[in-house]
Amino acid sequence: MDGWASSLYQALKASGIGMVAYVPDEVTDPLLRLVQEDPALAVVPVTREEEGVAVLAGGYLGGVRGALVLQSSGLGNSLNALSGLCLAYQIPLLLVVSERGRLGEFNPAQVPLGRALPRILEALGIQAFWAEDGDRLGRLVERAAALAFASCLPVAVVLTPTLTGGKVLR
Amino acid sequence: MTRLAAIRALLALLDREPVLSNLGRTTYDLFSAGDRPENFYMWGAMGSVSAVGLGLALARPDLTVVVLEGDGSLLMSLGTLATIAACRPPNLVLIVCDNRSYETTGGQPTHTSASAHLASLGRGAGLPAVEEVDTLDRFTAAVRRSLREKGPWMIVAAVEPSASPARVPRRPVFLKDRFMAALGSAP
Repeated sequence: MDGWASSLYQALKASGIGMVAYVPDEVTDPLLRLVQEDPALAVVPVTREEEGVAVLAGGYLGGVRGALVLQSSGLGNSLNALSGLCLAYQIPLLLVVSERGRLGEFNPAQVPLGRALPRILEALGIQAFWAEDGDRLGRLVERAAALAFASCLPVAVVLTPTLTGGKVLR
Repeated sequence: MTRLAAIRALLALLDREPVLSNLGRTTYDLFSAGDRPENFYMWGAMGSVSAVGLGLALARPDLTVVVLEGDGSLLMSLGTLATIAACRPPNLVLIVCDNRSYETTGGQPTHTSASAHLASLGRGAGLPAVEEVDTLDRFTAAVRRSLREKGPWMIVAAVEPSASPARVPRRPVFLKDRFMAALGSAP
């Protein structure tokens, strides 16, 4: 069991998250296993990250708080839904982003979006917080979720390879 | 059947069920057919309304959730059909108003005007209840059935364009707050 995954799962629960949408990812797999084993969570595997944003927006309209688990490349797939739905309508969600294209990256195709991610988020006005320290992760996630649902806006927590170990070429 | 006539027939069968509409002319027609707090009008994020409906249906199993989708918008996110089929919310009714064109942007043809067949795509995605209708009577019968029997439902309605002159409030936050209050899910 990865300690960070357990801390993150506990923080999602403590933040009142009731729905999790995701696109599968080796790095976040330990977290997604915990989420899938929890019968109290609505768990939606989506075909594309943009669809996950929309599913969670629908969940929020129904009174359920959502978190989207995605790679940083997937954030590129979700920009119009984040903009035209979450930002325009003030629909909050927590983005749990597994960072690619940064420290230790082996895949050159992941680098352009990984490199641009901070500025993309900044351009949209989406607040993001980078998590490197497993001991402080739970508190960070709880406070990011509190910010999201108080402000009625999406907020991102970026899981760095320093925290998760990152994706390894096999 | 025009889309406006179909949506009027739909609203006549509903009580307080939420209806979510795709951006553009579908939203204008829903507003013209009958504005109500239980309507959620999309102003952006084309290709997303079916997924929003899925999330709402999962969050609120006590409600029957109706989505008014368009052919152009659905073609943008066909994966959502597979996600709906995988999640199988019994309380989701997906109505696709297929006018074979991008009517809101000037009537350019969509691929359903060529060879794409949305009902087959729905069945291929694994949706258990798919109906195709091309008259108002058959549309009404299909909607009636979808409100009575377990879904998820997909009703593909061949419609003619209908240019509603509606002025839907361009105030997304107001529309969302009103919708959530009507559903009793305001935070």
